[in-house]
Amino acid sequence: MKISYNLLKTLIDFDWPADDLANRLTMSGSEAESVEQMGAGIDGIVAAKVTSVENIAGFDKLTLCQVYDGKESCRVVCGAPNVAKNQVILFAPPGSKIPGMILEKAVFHGVESSGMILSEAELKLSDNEDEIAVLQPDIKPGARLEEIVDYRDTIFEFEITPNRPDCLSHIGIAREIQALGGGRFQLPTIDLHEIAEPVAAAVNIIIDDPDGCPRYTGRIIRGVKIGPSPLWLKMIVYYLGMRPINNVVDITNYVMMELGHPLHAFDYDLFTRPEVLVRRAYAGEEFITLDGVSHTLGEEHLMITDGELGVAIAGIMGGEKSEVSKNTSNLLLESAYFDPARIRRGSKSLDLATESSRRFERGADPNMAPTANDRACKLISEIAGGEILKGMVDANPGPFVPVKIELRPSRANDLLGCDIPTDRIAQILRSLDIEVTVNGNIVAEQPSFRPDLTREIDLVEEIARIYGLDDIPAVSRPGGALATPETRQHRIGERLISHLVGAGAIEIFPLSLVDSKTTEKFGLSDSAVKLINPLSEEMAVVRPNLILSTLPVIRRNLNFREKDLFLFELGNVYYPAAKGRLPSQETNLIIALTGLESSVFWGDRPRTRDLFSLKGVVEGLADYLKIGPVKLKPGPHFAFEQTRSFEVYFRETLSGHLGMLSEKGCSIADIKGEVYLAELSFEKMADLVPETLSMQELDRFPSADRDIAIIVDDSVPSEDIRRAIVRNGGGLVDDVWIFDLYRGRNIPKGKKSLAYGIRFRLPDRTLTDEEVDQAQDRIVNALEEKFGAQLRS
Amino acid sequence: MNDFLTSLDGLEQEAIKALGNINDKASLDAAAASYLGRKGKLTEISRKLGTLDPDTRPAAGARLNQLKKKLTDLIEAKAESLKGRIEPEASFDYTLPGRRSFVGRRHPLMQTVERIVHIFRGMGFAIATGPDIETDFYNFDALNTPENHPARDLSDTFYVEKGILLRTHTSTVQVRTMQAQKPPVRIISPGRCYRSDTPDASHSPVFFQCEGLYVDRNVTFGDMKGVIIAFAKEMFGPDVKVRFRPHFFPFTEPSVEYDFSCMLCGSKGCRVCKYNGWLEISGAGMVDPEVFMAVGYDPEEYTGYAFGMGVDRITMLRYRIGDIRLLYDNDVRFLRQF
Repeated sequence: MKISYNLLKTLIDFDWPADDLANRLTMSGSEAESVEQMGAGIDGIVAAKVTSVENIAGFDKLTLCQVYDGKESCRVVCGAPNVAKNQVILFAPPGSKIPGMILEKAVFHGVESSGMILSEAELKLSDNEDEIAVLQPDIKPGARLEEIVDYRDTIFEFEITPNRPDCLSHIGIAREIQALGGGRFQLPTIDLHEIAEPVAAAVNIIIDDPDGCPRYTGRIIRGVKIGPSPLWLKMIVYYLGMRPINNVVDITNYVMMELGHPLHAFDYDLFTRPEVLVRRAYAGEEFITLDGVSHTLGEEHLMITDGELGVAIAGIMGGEKSEVSKNTSNLLLESAYFDPARIRRGSKSLDLATESSRRFERGADPNMAPTANDRACKLISEIAGGEILKGMVDANPGPFVPVKIELRPSRANDLLGCDIPTDRIAQILRSLDIEVTVNGNIVAEQPSFRPDLTREIDLVEEIARIYGLDDIPAVSRPGGALATPETRQHRIGERLISHLVGAGAIEIFPLSLVDSKTTEKFGLSDSAVKLINPLSEEMAVVRPNLILSTLPVIRRNLNFREKDLFLFELGNVYYPAAKGRLPSQETNLIIALTGLESSVFWGDRPRTRDLFSLKGVVEGLADYLKIGPVKLKPGPHFAFEQTRSFEVYFRETLSGHLGMLSEKGCSIADIKGEVYLAELSFEKMADLVPETLSMQELDRFPSADRDIAIIVDDSVPSEDIRRAIVRNGGGLVDDVWIFDLYRGRNIPKGKKSLAYGIRFRLPDRTLTDEEVDQAQDRIVNALEEKFGAQLRS
Repeated sequence: MNDFLTSLDGLEQEAIKALGNINDKASLDAAAASYLGRKGKLTEISRKLGTLDPDTRPAAGARLNQLKKKLTDLIEAKAESLKGRIEPEASFDYTLPGRRSFVGRRHPLMQTVERIVHIFRGMGFAIATGPDIETDFYNFDALNTPENHPARDLSDTFYVEKGILLRTHTSTVQVRTMQAQKPPVRIISPGRCYRSDTPDASHSPVFFQCEGLYVDRNVTFGDMKGVIIAFAKEMFGPDVKVRFRPHFFPFTEPSVEYDFSCMLCGSKGCRVCKYNGWLEISGAGMVDPEVFMAVGYDPEEYTGYAFGMGVDRITMLRYRIGDIRLLYDNDVRFLRQF
């Protein structure tokens, strides 16, 4: 909402400079978003009379004018089409300033020009840049611009919260200033000169829909002369962010900005009957608004009609047919009150929001309707002439009934943590023009301009903001014990993340909305939650797994030549549910690896990552969280290469998948190179994390370590051999680890050499060499028998 | 005699100087031989002892022995100091980088969430979470949002079907928590939220919020100010100031927006604070009685405050990040900086 400092000053007395005012209003709830100085860079502009106009040969648009500025006559080249002899215009003599330039004598096409005849746009007084500004003929040449119009002003842009429609006006802001310690605010005085003919004889108001239109006031003015507004009016309308149209429309807009009440002026001669009928629109009723747009209406829309045909969509926009034009002579001036919900629905369904609908849908002041009508009539008769018919038609089928609100001062103080005396509370409410009676408790009467005040708590807010939020003491106090346990999930999640970060992984946090085409190409469309109103196809699906949101991250980084990636995310995935039910949500962990292993030593050649790099990360994590052993089993997965696709088991519990991104996956995701991915269920992992741990006694007797190397068929899984070693060690095997895998020279084709370290140990005594030798022999025999293993010497 | 003593004095000076300059074992061994060895300088001189006058011989002999002992001690001390030292090698380049793995990083947004959660846990708030995909009851109705409120529009909120949507704030978790338990309730609820905003430098359709709620008997507006101020100072340092401006939200009354003094320019005015010295952080207020009624709390018995904060915004302020999209692009060149 744009507010003019000068206009405020006509309504209330206060002595705060603009910045101070902006700050006070910000701190009381109307945030000043900008403060703009108007009329800057203007100096030395005077009124002047055009005494002659000659065409310049060879140029149809240029004229050479003689202008008299009260002291001397100057020759000026002018390019405006509307310049004419005897006009009083705004003249910028050499040496004067207009925004952005200092005037000097200039030569146009060989003709010298001593100054410039100005348009309003050149002075930023309006947006009219096609014509020169023509002043009232009674203004004397030589009069300075500041004597003609008060163009130096400060315009504030306030953010008005939706609960405060009253502040969408200068009187609303003036009332706030009053409450904040300014003077007493005063409505402008309105004295109307009416003719004898009563308005009631000239127009009949019928309200068919009193719920939609609780109040309708009308006045008639005959014989107005439509024309451009005087400079001051154009300027203030323009300063307040609207376009000057003509005197009558500008006045209705001005009164709306001043008093907050939207008005509409009809060309009454275009009414087919002397009647205003307010009714619901018929289903399918066609109507053309004054912006030339055709609308098909329905019963939710409220229409102003002349008894037969629509003349306006109530509270939103007038019709093209009854619009005020330069030929208009007789006006019907409407100032009504419409139901906020109806206007909101109407405006929304038509996708048509106007300054008028904005105010009605938030809640206009029903009791301001007649005042605004009078105020506009007065200004119209002063500026556009005409005769005002006697009286006002005022149909008021739904008069405003104020809510009586009981306020307990103790409750207000308890809630705020303050000790504000009752009389101070009453004084705050009165300063907001709320009528109160004090009798222990306070009873306040809701003002008609404050639809937001209906409950005790609403008044508490008024007290708080006018008393000053800064003056409510901030409290820091210990509370009693309130158990706020950290959830197990959060605790385990933090451990998991810190382990992965320590292991070298970078945490990613992509959008959880993913591409619908990609989802479809992976064949996941039916198992994914889709938005019915996505911003774009790329963000149309709520991810059913973390792979879909990770692949674009991998692609992006590969494109930026970041080829060695170790990424993870602990995030939510979503699965559809039956219609009307909430989709389910689970937390998964994704780990992604590409490129080279991340060591940065100059002495080693970095290793290319493979499936075992990923398995190692998973095993390390399982070890850290104590949820191992990790086992893989071949199993299909939508994103993985068939031969590199595995189910992941932690302690025999299926907890997710890992594998290598398939060729198809690479092409869907537009990724080149090998990508290894694991997607694991965090919930399953967290469930396996032991809640408590008990220490194990430390070994007191030395172990004996032996190495064996065997040659077996390539197809024998190393894990089977490891297990056989443990099983055949006679209970002496404490640990087995593989330390070499070799194929090639000296090993037959189709065979491999495996080397194991074996640790033998007993908890209660030292083993003898013979015992260890025997155990080792048993192991070797078993391996020979079971796997055809051949011992390497 | 005098010549003899003078030559000893000279030898002493020379030997002390030479030993002082020695830094390796080999030189020390050579030096020891050159003074005390069979053909050493001291041995040479001692041979002249017999040529001296017998009267002066004992004194000269004493001096000779004294010097011999002194040099022996010096050499031994030097040998001790050289013990265990690796000989200098020109090839040992200690400026080569150390042997290590790359370190990982937490996402800056998550670092900030953890910090925020940590601060509020210190003030006795529990962590509460809830589903991202919600019903309009939890997202709007229970929060006193009018049926025709623009936030419910398809243009503002993502819907999965009629009545089921992607939550636009984590206040949903507050409602669920209040439904599930009686006061006192003191929770912080971090989580993803969604709004139908076209991505630009300051908007993302998916963003991260953290909201707080405290409901009990005698909870006041002053308590709310106290908690938010304490948070501001812990997050951004003791010099940060907080201001509260009246505002409007359907689910709180009185409602405020709170601003922090700009820590980027020290409130002098900069592009980020739009040259007014204050950074808009988020909204807060006393829980509206209608919300209490929706969850079955008696608004006469209990009062409470609620506050929100955009973790994205706080992260951006914390690390001077100028574009919210950087947080969700996950470019590792960006992520490695935190």
